[in-house]
Amino acid sequence: MEATRQIYWNVGHGVVIPMYILAGAAFGYLAWGFWQRLPIWRQGKPLDRWDRYDERVKRMLCEVFSQVKIFRVTDGGVFHALFFWSFLTLFVGTLLVMFQADFFTPLLQLNLLSGEFYKAFSLVLDIAGGLAIVMLAGLFIRRFVVQPRGLEIVRDDYIVLQLLFAILVTGFLIEGARMAATELQQNPELARFSPGGLLIGQLFTTMTPGTLLVTHKILWWVHFALVLGFFCAIPYTKLRHIFTTSVNAFLAPFEAKGYIATINMEDDTVEQFGAAAITDLTWKDIFDADACTSCKRCQDRCPAYATDKPLSPMKIVHQIGELAEGNPAGNLIETVSQDALWACTTCRACQDICPADIEHVNKILEMRRSLTLMDGAFPGDEVRTAINNIEVNGNPFGLAYASRADWAEGLDVKVMAQDADVDILYFAGCFASFDKRNQAVARNFITICNAAGIKVGILGKEEKCCGEPPRKLGNEYLYQMTANENIEVIKGYNVKKIVTTCPHCFNTLARDYQDLGFDVPVEHYSTYLKALLDGDRLKLTPEPFNFTYHDSCYIGRYMDIIDQPRAILAQAGGAIIEMAQNGYDSFCCSAGGGRIIAEEKLGSKISEARIKMATDTGAPLLVSNCPFCLTMFEDGIKTGGAEGQIRVRDLAEIVAERIEL
Amino acid sequence: MKLLVCIKQVPDMESRFKPDAAGVWFAETDLAFRMNEYDEYAVEQAVQLREKLGDGCELTVLSIGPDRVVEAIKKALAMGCDNAAHIQDPAASGKDPWQIASIIAAYAKDKGFDLIFTGMQSQDRGSAQVGVTVAELLGIASTSTIVGFDYDNGTITAKRELEGGIKGVVKMKTPALVTCQLGLNIPRYPTLPNIMKAKKKEIAAIPVADLLNADSLATTTSFHPPAKKGGGIVLEGDVADQVDKLIAILKDKTAVLR
Amino acid sequence: MKTLLIGEYREGKLLDSTYELFGFAGQLGAETALLLVGSETQLPAYGGTLYLADAAACGEYNPDLHKKLVLEAVQKENPDYIVFVHSSYGWDLAPRVAAALKIAQVSEVVALADGGFEVGCCNAKMRRTVKPASARAVVTIQAGAFPVLQPGGSPAVQKLTSDGGAALEFVGYEAAEKKDVDLAKAEVIVSAGRGVGKKDNIPVIAALAAALGGELGASRPVVDAEWVSHSHQVGTTGQTVSPKLYVACGISGAIQHLAGMKKSDFIIAINKDKDAPIGEIADVLVVADVMQFVPALTAKLAR
Repeated sequence: MEATRQIYWNVGHGVVIPMYILAGAAFGYLAWGFWQRLPIWRQGKPLDRWDRYDERVKRMLCEVFSQVKIFRVTDGGVFHALFFWSFLTLFVGTLLVMFQADFFTPLLQLNLLSGEFYKAFSLVLDIAGGLAIVMLAGLFIRRFVVQPRGLEIVRDDYIVLQLLFAILVTGFLIEGARMAATELQQNPELARFSPGGLLIGQLFTTMTPGTLLVTHKILWWVHFALVLGFFCAIPYTKLRHIFTTSVNAFLAPFEAKGYIATINMEDDTVEQFGAAAITDLTWKDIFDADACTSCKRCQDRCPAYATDKPLSPMKIVHQIGELAEGNPAGNLIETVSQDALWACTTCRACQDICPADIEHVNKILEMRRSLTLMDGAFPGDEVRTAINNIEVNGNPFGLAYASRADWAEGLDVKVMAQDADVDILYFAGCFASFDKRNQAVARNFITICNAAGIKVGILGKEEKCCGEPPRKLGNEYLYQMTANENIEVIKGYNVKKIVTTCPHCFNTLARDYQDLGFDVPVEHYSTYLKALLDGDRLKLTPEPFNFTYHDSCYIGRYMDIIDQPRAILAQAGGAIIEMAQNGYDSFCCSAGGGRIIAEEKLGSKISEARIKMATDTGAPLLVSNCPFCLTMFEDGIKTGGAEGQIRVRDLAEIVAERIEL
Repeated sequence: MKLLVCIKQVPDMESRFKPDAAGVWFAETDLAFRMNEYDEYAVEQAVQLREKLGDGCELTVLSIGPDRVVEAIKKALAMGCDNAAHIQDPAASGKDPWQIASIIAAYAKDKGFDLIFTGMQSQDRGSAQVGVTVAELLGIASTSTIVGFDYDNGTITAKRELEGGIKGVVKMKTPALVTCQLGLNIPRYPTLPNIMKAKKKEIAAIPVADLLNADSLATTTSFHPPAKKGGGIVLEGDVADQVDKLIAILKDKTAVLR
Repeated sequence: MKTLLIGEYREGKLLDSTYELFGFAGQLGAETALLLVGSETQLPAYGGTLYLADAAACGEYNPDLHKKLVLEAVQKENPDYIVFVHSSYGWDLAPRVAAALKIAQVSEVVALADGGFEVGCCNAKMRRTVKPASARAVVTIQAGAFPVLQPGGSPAVQKLTSDGGAALEFVGYEAAEKKDVDLAKAEVIVSAGRGVGKKDNIPVIAALAAALGGELGASRPVVDAEWVSHSHQVGTTGQTVSPKLYVACGISGAIQHLAGMKKSDFIIAINKDKDAPIGEIADVLVVADVMQFVPALTAKLAR
């Protein structure tokens, strides 16, 4: 017998027109549902996310269909991806049936859905359907039985799960009924290619033919109604993410990670700096709330949330959405709360893991800008003091700027004012210059460069804070002031290349400063040293040691430098025992986002939490490559009672000890 | 109502001070400058009062010195002063408190200020004279070292900080002058809109020669680091060593560890 | 050389700081006369001329009137120097006298110098020598800089009766906050200064105090930052102390603090700055990071 099936069997071709009309109405309702949301999004400021159209489309299609971001977290991720592909397959299958019935057959007299193709088609769809049901069951059990901490159950969850389940089950019931009437007995070889239908069909074998036909018809219309219901529900429930989350992959920024808009200080028509209300955010910020599926992966990874601070990146996204819809004139900052806003370390774990391409960090930064620039607010008096110190002496410690180069006394390095003919400018940064523990890193870096025959220069007292902590706390004015001063000095020396041992200086000089007209190449010492080693300019005598490695946020997630430091440490003789949260999954030391100059007053200490992760590996040594991390970990070891259990050292210290003589 | 606040730009106190060529004051190389800390309390209090009194109140900030003091003036403007007077004087640091007070009094005398705010002393010279002297030259009431301030319809109620944590409560009527002490208030951090507005505020530049009418009554003959007191033991080096040595000294020289 | 010394009287008591004026005059080798707005019932132990005005009638704080009284005494005595203690009373009154007489004022003198006076500047980090150009000058002396000297005897009292001067109304005194710590009686005090770093580090200093059997003290910035309560404050606006042992941790030595603890029998300063002013009065200066040295010391003491 022929391997095909009669489309519209039993329901008749008379359904076609009402079907298309109703479907059209449902699509119309769907479109109108989203149309109604346009004015909500439009409350935000303009933002151009339509450039480089082709690349955006490509990125969106890639992300959506590969589900690559969904897979980053396997718990729930595998279920969703498999469910997505299954449901997509079913959708494509339905489209094929539609084309066959209303296009190929009448217009081309072509029956694609026949023969081997149809067998494969039917098998694939049945597997997809079965897989979809199993995955859906898995998702249901996860949400309602396992109940992962922080995963809320809301009205939408009941609606969506029941609706999808009903659609899938009625699909199989219809197939079963049809096969019971037309295939089970008549074409058992073909029936084998629809295992699901074959199984379900057994339910109908005892029905009288008349009842069976009626049942099938009813099931068909029920299924159709459910599908229409599905379309109509999309804009009004979590199902909207099918569109909004996919579109967010289109709308995602192309700028380098960590890019923040540079405020134009010359524009004196601006009355509001930063975001105090919904209308101060961009339309994309408001749209992000619609793209959010409340998966809570951002919250799960937020170091502040993990240590009982009132910050949840997901909650902020929701609060923005709620205000935009319900109370646009409401006080955004009061709703989110200052404590939550100041708690962020800009570690980017939220944005990095978000499968919906939501941009959490810059919303927080814009609100901080309003707090700082419009209200003169600070998270604490110690921050006010540090900011004042940066204004007066170019460093947060308040130490005399004239002593900024004291650390280099006795070393083979000159200030640029004396000798600007150098291979690289070493931008030491405030901590390496003034903080005793970190001065060791600066000295070791110079030693390494000397050994490699690199001529290094420093700015000395002409160097000022790169401006990153003030910028991340919202003080764009102080940032631009100190940045422009640095830029002028550096340009004056015609510097060809800058290397720094601080990831924050690195990101700021390499990326942030570009908006201020600065384009001197900047490198972090981890990649610089790697290049020296690869080029044989530097040789190490390995000395074995066991260690665990901390990927600092501004090197790993921000700059994608994961392998080079590990390679260097391996060459130095190190045997690494990785922490569970390493690489892009690294857990912040707590000092980013300007918090290096703030006291941690709420919840428990983030640095202690990370030290615990380090001691859990059993390694006696923790290696990092950032002055903030080094400072926080020295603190965390002491206050967390891990002294004697683990030591923390910087990459430069390890390398300098092993220079081949 | 007219208010005046007098500020001085001083070097940051973390700096290392070295005598200048003449040996009578500090050399200005490698120094970071900032508004005198006590003057910040004065500016903040003046701005708070100005805000309370609203329209019809004008607050002027004055500073004497070379061009670099304009930065401190701008900060005061950004905190909320309405306009400024920069008494241009490249040699201000060579004038004594009497001359400084005379200059300020000469500026203020025909302007009808109801209230004048100053810091109680400067962090660099620290003679604590200028404020009260200005009041005496102008013949107005004054009180010093205030840590509490209230103004109501022409009457000032101020709290003076006395030794031992006691406060003295004082009332006076305008026109009057107060000198401000740490603890009076927390100076605000200028908001960006205010910083930008400040750029447009008027800074009247007045050459000091127009106002100077007094000779100095005292001169500084030497500026030098304090003589090192002999007999004090200095312990440096390794912490464990220092601990041992100190304990030995405590046992030897005091009865604390017996 | 003649000096007119201006004594201090507050809350019905003659202040001991008045006797430091005699210590100053003694170093100058000058004759003295004393002016006091005080009370007949509390005459100072001094055998010279005392210009006395009644505080009950004149008010303890009434600068215009007190100025007039001083000027009256100046007319009669013709002193070379009019000397005040650099206190909240002295630095308020001295410039008024100097302005009225159009003479120089030298503030907060710490020592005599070649033809002039030595005063502190730049947060006590440096010194200047100041010479008055006028024949007569007003001088204020730093509290604690000159020795307390009780000349002894009974004064020859000359009553002053200037009146007027009510540009200012003195309403009264406000008591200081209650103290739960009486540092004045402590034999050992270990104080925390800004160099301690942050509030979280205070327990480290308190631990050393406990190890030495003493009390915790603090410098003013630490109290202002609310790392400890005001009852621990040592200095001119806190408590003046004179324990057997004073350990200053991370305290630079601002004059207001020094004035409060100078008289301690034995002073140890722990500071990473070798040139910190406190090094001047310390018997031992430990050049180290407070947060590294203090725990090590406490640990060693425990053994």
